[in-house]
Amino acid sequence: MLSADERGSDFRDARARDAIFSNAMTVIFLLSVPVLLIGVTLALALRSNPARALAAIASQATATGLVLVSLTPTLRGGSPLERVWPWPKPINSIAFRVDALGAFFLVWSLPMTLLGTVYAVGYLRPYFQRGRNGGSHFALLNLVSLSFVLIYSVENALVFLLAWEIAAIAAWLLVIWDYSNQKIRFAGFNYLVSTHVGLFVLVAAFMLLHSETRSMDFAAFGKFLAQPSALRGTIFLLLGVSFALKSAFFPFHTWLPRAHSAAPAHVSALMSGVIHKAGLFAFLRFTLLMGKPEEWMGWGVLSFGLVSAFFGILYTTTQRDLKRLLGYSSTENVGIAAVGFGIGYLGWSWGIPTLTVCGFAGGLLHLFNHALFKCLLFYAAGSVYRATHTVDIERLGGLAKRLPATTALFLVGAIAIAALPPLNGFVSELIVYSALLSGSAPSDQGNVLLICYAAVLAFVGGLGALSMTRAFGLTFLGTPRDTAVHVGSEAPLSMWLPMALHALGVVLFGLAPQLALAAIWPALKLFSSGTELSVLASSLAPLSVANPLLAGAFVLAGGLAWLRGRRAKRSATWACGYTAPSARMQYTASSFSDQLARLLRALLPSVRREDLPQQTFPRRAGHLGTHHFDPVERRTFEMLGQAEDLVAHASERIPEQSRFAFAAGLVALVIIGALVLGGSSR
Amino acid sequence: MTLFRIANVVALVVMPILMTGLIGRVKSLWSGRKGPPILQLAYDLWRLVHKRPVYSTTTTPLFFVAPQLFLISSFASGLIAPLLGSLPLASFQFDFVWFAYVWALGRVAIMLAALDTGSSFEGMGAAREALFSALLEPALFLVAGALSFLGGHRTLHEIATLHVRAGGPAVVWVLAVAALLIILQVEASRMPVDDPSTHLELTMVHEVMVLDHSGPDLAAIQLGAATKLFVGSSLVATLLNPWAGSPSLLSGLTNLLLCGLVAIFFGTVESLVARLKLRAVPQYIAVALACGGVALLATIWRVETAK
Repeated sequence: MLSADERGSDFRDARARDAIFSNAMTVIFLLSVPVLLIGVTLALALRSNPARALAAIASQATATGLVLVSLTPTLRGGSPLERVWPWPKPINSIAFRVDALGAFFLVWSLPMTLLGTVYAVGYLRPYFQRGRNGGSHFALLNLVSLSFVLIYSVENALVFLLAWEIAAIAAWLLVIWDYSNQKIRFAGFNYLVSTHVGLFVLVAAFMLLHSETRSMDFAAFGKFLAQPSALRGTIFLLLGVSFALKSAFFPFHTWLPRAHSAAPAHVSALMSGVIHKAGLFAFLRFTLLMGKPEEWMGWGVLSFGLVSAFFGILYTTTQRDLKRLLGYSSTENVGIAAVGFGIGYLGWSWGIPTLTVCGFAGGLLHLFNHALFKCLLFYAAGSVYRATHTVDIERLGGLAKRLPATTALFLVGAIAIAALPPLNGFVSELIVYSALLSGSAPSDQGNVLLICYAAVLAFVGGLGALSMTRAFGLTFLGTPRDTAVHVGSEAPLSMWLPMALHALGVVLFGLAPQLALAAIWPALKLFSSGTELSVLASSLAPLSVANPLLAGAFVLAGGLAWLRGRRAKRSATWACGYTAPSARMQYTASSFSDQLARLLRALLPSVRREDLPQQTFPRRAGHLGTHHFDPVERRTFEMLGQAEDLVAHASERIPEQSRFAFAAGLVALVIIGALVLGGSSR
Repeated sequence: MTLFRIANVVALVVMPILMTGLIGRVKSLWSGRKGPPILQLAYDLWRLVHKRPVYSTTTTPLFFVAPQLFLISSFASGLIAPLLGSLPLASFQFDFVWFAYVWALGRVAIMLAALDTGSSFEGMGAAREALFSALLEPALFLVAGALSFLGGHRTLHEIATLHVRAGGPAVVWVLAVAALLIILQVEASRMPVDDPSTHLELTMVHEVMVLDHSGPDLAAIQLGAATKLFVGSSLVATLLNPWAGSPSLLSGLTNLLLCGLVAIFFGTVESLVARLKLRAVPQYIAVALACGGVALLATIWRVETAK
């Protein structure tokens, strides 16, 4: 028997041990920052591209290892890593804290960035062979990793903004790798402007919070936000808009397809799959700070997410640029994640823990799944680009025979992103559906509305299947549509290895949903207690039987068919008796989505350029082209143009009175300053 | 209970063939012919399985793997459907979402196989199938959501066993049956959406996608399509079946009989109605969507009156 005193000292010992352990873990975690910075320096200083790449990969691998080791206790349910530094006024102190949410994001963001850097070695090799210096590119990839370490850990608004800006600028510089091309510079500039508009809104929200709390600390922000106040809703909206811009929600998505089609494949992959998840992370971080939300916030997030999912997927159906298409699909997928978060909000405000858990679980899992399959798809698209120097679906076709590995990997990603079982996309969508269809809202109207939302989500799923069938089928199947496209060699090891690892994740988290659940478990606990979590686990358990069985049956039947099929007779495709079919007669990407585009022409506007043959015996060949533009982007540019005209018109009328002109001039200067950014980007 | 499961498996294997035969027979009778035997599909499948397939030189292995995937997805959906009006072979929470997405997977496999041939006809069929099924998906979820909300159930067989007796308002029930029948007509490519017996490629949907399939692959597709028809009909039958819900001989036989009636209904519709213009098909699907939407709204009305 221990006396009370002895037990007390034991307890103190244990606590002291814990503190030392936690401190050690914090130091290990923070070591990743200098390691990444050393990587940056080496990448810039070394003389040859392979050495620069090696420096970046080695430093990122080390940093990833450090972060993973230091976060293991937190991820296994331990206490968060914490540390506060005093800092000169007016900042006072910089707090640093990695809880389970930050740990969850870090645990896949850093390895995925590392894989992206590995991919870059293979993808950029043709440029290196032409003598291009890749040092800055690898240094920027390291900086992206660094920004993750900061964003997911700091609790101070200023450092957060700094890290936010590092990520934005690094992404911009990564996008304009091919800066000699004017289109790519424009895409980069467009991104830069958009991301800074988002930054202004974020700064506005932080300024409001600072004016109320006299602090830059997130903990102080949280105390203020947890109280009901007039500013709470405003700040929620400001933060929401800013994070929505970061994650490219509709209608703030216009920069995204441009940037994604312009950037090198691995940059598109990292931006879409990993970097822009920071917006969703920040949203969740402030959700936790804010505490119990109000009901309108839940409906707002839910509706906003659904609109994003709907328009995102709708715009993918008419794209002919494979990477643009994947870019729009990011808008769709963050929308689906937001639908999950919206239900989580509703469940929280209604006080229904199962709904909260299902909502946040669906959202968290979906954004992780999206990172897995979206990177895979962008990498595969990059492999297509490297081999053919185009990603125009209308010009491709028949790549399956030339690039078999890329084809198989893209197919895995396409099935997963269309949310079809047995892969991982379906698991997260099922959780979101289960929350929408659970019928647990307090009012019948609420339930019916949620079921309607589920129906819209089903439409999104149907369009996703259409879009991915179109993207995969027309790019990889059939025969080459354009003989001018020369197909080069299959992706090298450094490119297919990251793809294969992502594909492995896609399959693994689809066949073993309980694994996926284990991954989000610690983060999920922040939103709810343990008892509701077991409900979710038990509702997912049948899927961990159903999905592997389905996959097993597919593999078995497919394998048998394969063995039998190889012995079959070969002949030409049946063309209804026509004996001279040509590749030009195949169905095209435009024709595939034509009926849909006609049906929904109000939402999918297009321009048509035609010069049809005249007379009975035309002298020259005619041509016909249709182009689907982004209506939101066009309207934005129109509005910017109109505003510019308005200002110009008004300034002409100002009489030459010195005082008045001076005041008007000042006002105009401010307005013009704001408009220059937008106006000049046309 | 084991016996009931075995009966389910037998029904899953036999009924698709019988239903297809029945539709064929009804159509023949309407047009004044004697018609093929009820088991015609079985003879056809037997013949096809023994043939050596011919593949286009354009195609990849995906082309002959896809029909098997389609067949398996049809069977998989049959595992969770209440084939005999109650207790399916397997069921879990929100399995109707799985059901819808497994059907979608089978469709995607066939669409990809169609695109694999590089034929413009088959691409055309795939595009139509993709569009129609995308439009259909929300209708299915509206119906399933309405029934699930009405009864407070979460598995496919439970939500399908809702009947008027259990306090559900007749209007929800009627609209759900109507919507499901339209969904089934589109999914199983029957008239007035698609004509399974035409040979004019420009007007077909499902048949045009499988122009290049032959031998065992074609057999897999035909059996898969027939299985989908039966599985879908069994949902309608369960909704109509007054004894649904209890695993008994009576409810099982009633369900099979009702499936037969659905087949006769399809055969009759196919004999009396012309195929819709392709442009009009989305409008026809919109009817199913409207039925689903009204059924969902009617559930509120039921709850309001009950209060």
